[in-house]
Amino acid sequence: MLRIVLQAVGIVVLIGAVTIITLKIRNMDADGPSILFPGGELVSGELHTGPDPDWRFTDDVAVIELQLDKPMSSRRIFIAESGGKIYVPSGYMRSFIGRLWKDWAFQAAEGDGLAVARIRGTRYKRQLIRVSEGDVIDGIAQKLAQKYSGGAPDAVAVTKKQIIDGDTWIFELAPRQGAADEN
Amino acid sequence: MKTRNYLILCLIIAAGWAATLVLVPAVSVTVEQLMIGFLSTNA
Repeated sequence: MLRIVLQAVGIVVLIGAVTIITLKIRNMDADGPSILFPGGELVSGELHTGPDPDWRFTDDVAVIELQLDKPMSSRRIFIAESGGKIYVPSGYMRSFIGRLWKDWAFQAAEGDGLAVARIRGTRYKRQLIRVSEGDVIDGIAQKLAQKYSGGAPDAVAVTKKQIIDGDTWIFELAPRQGAADEN
Repeated sequence: MKTRNYLILCLIIAAGWAATLVLVPAVSVTVEQLMIGFLSTNA
């Protein structure tokens, strides 16, 4: 009986492992991420040049594709416009699973933060700059709560607390330094 | 089940499931949605 149970558990574990490995390998070099698994370099889509657009159009965009240059990988992520700038969040940063799932955020914070965002099919060269304090947090928390949690006062307060406590990291998608002509 | 037969079954399941994930997008999308739902709840 024990043998049968162990064999059944083995098959369940096998299916889980095959799923993760297969989907990870399948997406590694893809032009963009899948729902959960990181993809490769964002290749398709017009590369934006000139001044930044009015980012408020992102209020109608649920997720964008964000590529880090180092290491080259891309993922889907929420976006929030506040005060004419755009920001991306990375949640679950203090949990064990979050540390594995959101490794890109650690890489962005520790590296140069060079990134490409693909929004509605257009690519924007940006630089990720972590924002962890200041009045700007209020506006970002409000926008994130409005877009993704219904916007109730409780949701705004919870979102702000998550940011201040470091459970959620916020990065500004800023123009690349020294490359104003590219954007 | 004898070990030899069990290993053969594992091999068949692994190959079949991997092929399904790669060849049937609807299956992989559903699986990924379930996984992200699990992570969002438990991470």
